[in-house]
Amino acid sequence: MDFPENLPSPDIGRLEQIVSHFFPKALHIVLDSRIPSLQSRGRTRDRSSGGLNVKKSDKWFNLIMGDRPAALDKLHSWHRNILDSMIIDIILIHPTDDDDDHGNVRSAETVIERWVVQYENPLIMSPQTSDPSTRYQKVYKKAIILLRSLYAQTRLLPAYRVSRQLSSSLASSRYEMVYKVSSFSDVFSPPVTETMKEFRFSPVEVPPGRLCASVTYRSDLSDFNLGAHITLPPRIITDYVGSPATDPMRFFPSPGQSFEATSFHFQGRAGRPPLTTSSASERPHSWTSGFHRPPTPNQSFSPDFHWSRTDGGDSHHQLSPPFSPSGSPSTPRGSYSPRINVRPGTAPVTIPSSATFNRYVSSNFSEPSRNPLPPFSPKSTRRSPSSQDSLPGIALYKSSRSGESPSGLINHYPGHKLTKDSKYDSGRFSGLLSSSGSPRFGFSRSPSRLSSDLEDPDCSCPFDFDDVDESVLQYSQSLDRRKTSSSISQSLPIGRKSQDAAVGVLVQMLKTAPPLRQDSSTYMASSMSGVQREGSSVSGAESEFSMARSTSDALEELRNYKQLKDLLLSKSKSVGGATRVH
Amino acid sequence: MNCEACHLKELEVESFEIREVLRCILHTIVFHRALGLIRPKDIDLELFDITYVQCGEIEVEKKIDDKIEQFITWIDKHPNKKSQICLSFYEVKTKQPSWFTNKIERLYWEQWFINLNVLQPTKSPTGKSQHSKLVMDPGEESEERSSRRTLLEQSLQEVLFQIIKFVNEKKDHVPPINDGVIYCPFEITFPSSSDSTFGMDMIKRMLHSGGHPSMLS
Repeated sequence: MDFPENLPSPDIGRLEQIVSHFFPKALHIVLDSRIPSLQSRGRTRDRSSGGLNVKKSDKWFNLIMGDRPAALDKLHSWHRNILDSMIIDIILIHPTDDDDDHGNVRSAETVIERWVVQYENPLIMSPQTSDPSTRYQKVYKKAIILLRSLYAQTRLLPAYRVSRQLSSSLASSRYEMVYKVSSFSDVFSPPVTETMKEFRFSPVEVPPGRLCASVTYRSDLSDFNLGAHITLPPRIITDYVGSPATDPMRFFPSPGQSFEATSFHFQGRAGRPPLTTSSASERPHSWTSGFHRPPTPNQSFSPDFHWSRTDGGDSHHQLSPPFSPSGSPSTPRGSYSPRINVRPGTAPVTIPSSATFNRYVSSNFSEPSRNPLPPFSPKSTRRSPSSQDSLPGIALYKSSRSGESPSGLINHYPGHKLTKDSKYDSGRFSGLLSSSGSPRFGFSRSPSRLSSDLEDPDCSCPFDFDDVDESVLQYSQSLDRRKTSSSISQSLPIGRKSQDAAVGVLVQMLKTAPPLRQDSSTYMASSMSGVQREGSSVSGAESEFSMARSTSDALEELRNYKQLKDLLLSKSKSVGGATRVH
Repeated sequence: MNCEACHLKELEVESFEIREVLRCILHTIVFHRALGLIRPKDIDLELFDITYVQCGEIEVEKKIDDKIEQFITWIDKHPNKKSQICLSFYEVKTKQPSWFTNKIERLYWEQWFINLNVLQPTKSPTGKSQHSKLVMDPGEESEERSSRRTLLEQSLQEVLFQIIKFVNEKKDHVPPINDGVIYCPFEITFPSSSDSTFGMDMIKRMLHSGGHPSMLS
C-alpha cells in the first residue's frame, strides 16, 4: 500500500488519517463529477508515467483524481472534527413556470442528490479480532474499495448525465447545478422523499468507529425538462424528405433540361395540361436504355398516348424520356419498368436532333438489342387482314429485335428495296415515328403486301399531297425547329415515288383498319382527312387508346406510323423538292 | 479464504451489443478489484446512455478486449442462445513442487458469472407466407428493437448496481494488496462447445489450484 510518507507510526494515527483523508477524497469524487468548475486539472495527464508525478495527497486510497481545486481544500478546511458528518447537496437551479411582476422567469432550487459521509463512533467499542499490525492495511483496503464503488456510483446516478449536459456549451443558462456542503441538513420534505431513492454503501470498520457513506438521489429528473432546454449539436440529416435517398419514385425536376413546346406538343391526356418544358421528367427511365441518346434539351417528347398509366398524375412529358441529363438510362423506375416489359420497345422517343438521330440510327443498327422498339406482333398490329407490310422508310427505324440483322435494314434502305421488307415486322418502328402528331399512317402491314402496294403508284389514297403537305409543313416546321430535317434527309434516301406510295399505303391501311373502338375509328377517319391539330386529335385518341392493352398497342403502332410518315415526308423534301413543301 | 461467487442478472443482447456490454461489465468489476494506484478513466458507451469506469491500465484493457473478441468468435461458431462468461480473480501462490509438478497454483477467491442471452438476428423469415409481414417488419422491428434496447440499458444499469452492491457487501475475502501490484490477477473464461468440456476446465482449474476453491483457509 502506498501510504503517504508523513504518516505517523501508530496504527491509530494511521486509522485516523484514513478517516480524515476519506472525507476530502469523497468530496472530491462527488463534486468532480457534478460541478464542472471543480473538475480536476491534470487528471488525464501523465497517464503513461503512472503515479510518478502525482501529489502525495492525491495518492490516497490509490485513486488519482488530479489536482484538487483550491475551493475543495477550503471546503474541507471547516471539517476539523472527523466525527462531524459531511453532507454534500447537489442542487439543480431550474426555471419555474411562475413569472414575477417584471416578466422574469423565477428559478427554483431542487436538491437532486444528497451525499452523506460520516464517521460513526459507536458508544461501545467493538472487540478487535484482527491483528493490529495488519488492521490498518485491511481497513485501508476496504476504504479503497468503498471509494471505488462511490466513484462508480457517481457515474451511474442520473445527476451525472445532467451535469454533463449542463456543462456543455450548448446548455441553457437557465439551468445550473450547484452544491452545498454542510454538517447539518434539512430533512427532506415528505413529498421530496417519495421521489428519492437511497443507496447505502457498506460501512468500513475503522476502529473505533466505522466509515459510512450513503446517497439519496432523485431517480427521475425528467420533471425538469432538461432535454427541452438543451440544444443538441447540429446534425446532418441525410434522409430529409425529398432527398434522393428516401423516395426513389419521387419526381425531381432537373434544372438542366428544357423541352420545347412544339407543334408536336400534344395536349397529353384529356384534361392534362399542355406539355411544359420545365417539368419534364429528368429521372432516367428504364425504357430509355435502348436509345442511348444523350439527353439534349432540344429533344421533344413523344406523345405517349399509348402509355397507359396507373398513377395518372404525370403528364406524359414526365414519362417521355428522358434522356435525362443524368444519363443513367438503366435506372429502373417503378411504374415505368413494368411497362417496358409489357411493351418492350415502346418508343419514348421524340423527334431526334440531327446528331442524336444519326446516333440513334447507327446505334439501332449496330446494337439491335438496345433498341426498345416494340416488336409488333403481327396480330397486334394487324389492322386489316392483309396489312402487315412495312415500308422501306420504316425499315430504317425498325428494330432488329426480332433478330433480323441490321445490315438488312441498311441494305433495304437505299433505293426502293421494298421487296426485301418481307422479313421485317411492321411493328418495329422507331420512336421517331411516333413523335409526329399525326397518326396518319398505319404501318402494320405485311411486307408482301407492302411491296405490292408500294409498287402500285396508282393506289387510291385519300392522302393527297396537299394534305400531306399541310401535315408535312407542320412537321417540317417543327423539325426545322429541332434541326433534324437535314439529318433526316441525309439518312433517309427514300425515293419520292416510293414515299408517295408508302404514304398512300399507310393511309389505306389506316382507313381499312378495323376500329378498336367506336371512338377510335372516328379518330382514324378524322385523321385521314388531314390532321391540322395533331395535338388535339392525338389527345382525343390518347385517352381512349390508353384504356386497354390492345388499344395501346394500336396507339403505339399509330405513333410509329406517324413517325414514319414524317420521316418520309422529310425525306421527300430532301430528295425531290418539287412537290414537297419545305 | 472463501471463493465468493456473484451471479449477475441475465442480459438479452444482440451480437453487435456484446462488445460494449461485456466491456462495461468486465471493466467495472476489475475497477473494483484494481486496488493499486490507478488513474480511473471514464468511458461513455456508444449504444447506451451509460458511463462506466476503467482502471486505466492498458494491460487490463487489452486482456479484456482480447477475451471479448474470443467470446464473440465463439458465439458466432456456437450460436447458443445463452452463454456465461466467468471472470475469476485468483491469487498466485507458489508451492512446494508436488507430484503435479506444478509450482505455481492459482487460488480463486472470487468469481463473477456474467449471463448473456445472445439474440439471433431476426432477418430469418422464409417462406411466402411471411412476405407480406416483411413489408411491415422494418417499422415494427425498429420499434421492437428500440424497446429492447431501452430494456437492455435498464438491465445493464441494474447489473452495474448489482456489482457495486456485491463489491460493497463482501470485502473480507479480498486478498491484501501487494506492493507494486496494480490489479488483482484475473482470468476470463467462457464455456466451450459442450458443458462437459466446461466441467473439465473447472476440474483442471481445481487441480492446478491445489485444492477446492471453496476450501476455507
